[in-house]
Order: sequence, then structure tokens, then C-alpha cells
Amino acid sequence: MSQSKGVSPPKNPPLELNREMVRGEFGLRVDELSGQKLYDCYQCGNCSSGCPLAQEMDILPSAMIRFAQLGQKDILLNSGTIWICASCFQCTVRCPKGIDIEAVMDTLRQLALEAGVDHFGPDEISPELAAEVPQPGLVGVYRKLST
Amino acid sequence: MAKVAYYPGCALKERSSHLDRSARDAALGLGFELDELETWTCCGAVPPVSSERVMNLIAPSRILKDVRDSGRKELITICDFCYNTLKRANYSIRNDEVIRKRVNAFLADDDPERTYLESDDAPWVDYDGEVKVLHLLEYLRDIIGFENLPAGLKNPLKGINIAPYYGCVMLRPEKEIKLDNPENPTIIDEFTRALGAGVVSFPYRTECCGSYLSVSSPDASTRLCYRILSSARANGADALVVSCPLCFYNLDSRQEAIAEAYPDFKPMPIFYFTQLLSLALGNGPEKQGFDMHCVDVSPILEKLDTPEAAEVGE
Repeated sequence: MSQSKGVSPPKNPPLELNREMVRGEFGLRVDELSGQKLYDCYQCGNCSSGCPLAQEMDILPSAMIRFAQLGQKDILLNSGTIWICASCFQCTVRCPKGIDIEAVMDTLRQLALEAGVDHFGPDEISPELAAEVPQPGLVGVYRKLST
Repeated sequence: MAKVAYYPGCALKERSSHLDRSARDAALGLGFELDELETWTCCGAVPPVSSERVMNLIAPSRILKDVRDSGRKELITICDFCYNTLKRANYSIRNDEVIRKRVNAFLADDDPERTYLESDDAPWVDYDGEVKVLHLLEYLRDIIGFENLPAGLKNPLKGINIAPYYGCVMLRPEKEIKLDNPENPTIIDEFTRALGAGVVSFPYRTECCGSYLSVSSPDASTRLCYRILSSARANGADALVVSCPLCFYNLDSRQEAIAEAYPDFKPMPIFYFTQLLSLALGNGPEKQGFDMHCVDVSPILEKLDTPEAAEVGE
């Protein structure tokens, strides 16, 4: 029992930050596409605490915003979070700074899909499901998760 | 009889046809007709959030422009996704000049075959967001008035406790939808109360059911639906009432998977608000499409004090 202190080791290696990343090209592109100001976020965590899917996410919504402020394109576009977000706008209506967090998530999905690879393609749905899911579910999933 | 322009959307024409049928029956019972648009397309289901996706606004804008061109000022829709998409497209067109110009440039460039509602010499008039998009619940609340519903009911829904479930896109984002308070909505509560049923409030009533994740991450949706249904049950609900085809599908059809994952789970019938209204107005259960439900609704119907039962009692 060598770990007497209740401090867990960091999950991720420390970020290598530089001037090009912070307020850099990537963050500005997210700002522009989403119509939001990422630097308005002061990390209160309201979005993460209200998110019904937070426990399914590898990076919490508030951390996504922080990574976006810091220009961490690779971390964001390779996250599972953008694909498990159900676009329910709970975060958006609860943000005390008025940031439309769902718009940021949608922008990150769009940027990830610009690589041309579907996250969930038309051949991945079972025929049974395709035959019974109401159309908004089908149109929604392919608009959000495929190119 | 008053006719109001009606956009059913694709789900109501096929996989959620019981929502469409019960809504039409209920409207007739209240003295107005849901007058389906002559021609319409899919609205796109999810509105574009990012500013570069103007293309996704064309379909909903064309639907709204056609309503305007036919001389009508209001459009009723029921599916929460259609409502959200049409209303947000309208909001963008009203409030963003760049989007308004770009959308109208696309609309004006449409195939001439599509200008079926205009005469050949009609000059082009930009669509500026003039049409008012109304959820059927909104029409019932603001035009008919919930307070006027009880007088017309043949079978008030006495004896059952219903939990209104709002879900996400009917209320949010509030800035653009403005239907009700997104954190403490009352519209379905007031509606259900007006029908005579007991209303059960529960903490998960505005929490997402998983939406389209039922296709891409069904297990996540199962967990969300379990939380919603068991919370409604714990607060004393006999059944849930919803308005969205996708909420209905997730909460109804996922119950089999929920029962496998959570042995303590007991099934809970799901109703569309239109089915409850249609029933209360005196249309029989055979008109409500209950055969399209996965979870049997008959325990709830048996609990209702129907006039027949009352007569037997007398």
C-alpha cells in the first residue's frame, strides 16, 4: 500500500502547448463555424453535470471546450464524445455564459467528417432496425454521423 | 369547419401513422381539420447548427414558403423533430440576413416544376419567415385553450396517473423554440390534467431518451430509457405520454432490451398525447393504432372509468 495519498495519476500525458495552438487557427475555425466564442467558457462544468450521456463519454463536454480553447484538434476529432452526444441541447440551455455547446459539438463532428470517413455508415445498420426506426432517427443519425 | 395547414412529416405517414391518425381524429372532435399540404418533402429532421450548412435549410424553407404562397399564415406540425427543424429554419431566416438571402437565392433557382403554387406571372417574393410554425400542443394551448377541452370530453381519463415526458427537441434550444420553459415545462402537464388524468411529475421528464443513438449506440439509449421509465414508475406513473415519434419508439420498443438488462424493470405503456385526446373525445381504442405498440396498453384502458363502466356501476 504505497499509495497513501489520495491523488490519482493523470490519465493523459501533459499537453505540449505553444502559441500557435492557444487562440490558434483551429480554435478560430471552431469559433467561426459554430458562431460561438470558446473563450467565454470559464469551466464551471454545468454542461458536463447536466449531460445525460456524460457517463458514456471519454472527454466531458466542459473538457471538450477547454481542449478547443487550447487548439487540441487531434484530441477533439478523435474523441468518442462527439459521436455519443445525442444533440439534445441540455448543455446549451444550461450554459451560464450562453455558449451553444451543441453548436460546438456539431462543428467538431463536421470537422471530423471532413476527412471523408463515416463514423456510422449506411451498411452498419441491421435490416431489422432499418425497417422499424422512425425516419427522424434514420435521417438524424446519418446527417450527424456520416459524410 | 376551420382548416389549418398541416405538415405531417415522414414518420407520421408511415412508421408513426397512429400519431397522425389520432391527431386527425382528435382535431375533428375539437372542430378543426388538419389540412395536409398538397406537396411536401422531408424537412431534414435535424437542423444545421454550424453556420456553413445553409443547404440543410432549403428543404424546411421551401415547405414554409409553399405555405406562405398558398395564402396561409400558420402551419401545424406534431413530430418534435419536424417542429424543431421548421421552427429553427424560420428563426434563421428571420434573424440572419445573410442566411435569408442565400436561402432565397436557392429557392428562386428551383426547378420551375416546383413552383406549382404560383401562377406563371407571379413575381418572386422572398420568403422572410412569415409563417408561424405551431406544434399541435401549442395550437391546443394558445388557440383552442386547454381550459376549453374538458367541456367537450365524452370520456375524461379518470383513474389513471400519467407522467408527461418532454424529451429534448420540443423545448430546446429555448431561444429559438420558445414553446415553454426548457427546465420546468408545463404544456403536456396542463394538457394531461385537462383530459382528467392524474399528472405525475418526475425528474427525468426533460432528459434525452437517446434520440438517434438508438441506431448508432443502442445500449446507451437503453440505459437512458431505463432511467426515464423507472423514475416515472417510482413517482407513481401508470403510463408515459409523449409527442415525439422517436421518443415513442425508443421508450416503447427498447423495453424488451431494458427488461433483459435490468431484472427489476416492469413494463410501462407509452401513449402519444393525441391518442389520449382522441380517447377522451370519445373515439374508441380500436382507432388509436394500439396494435403498433410494443408494450400492451390494455392495463391502462381497463383502469379508465369509461361511461359503460359507470353505467354498469349505476
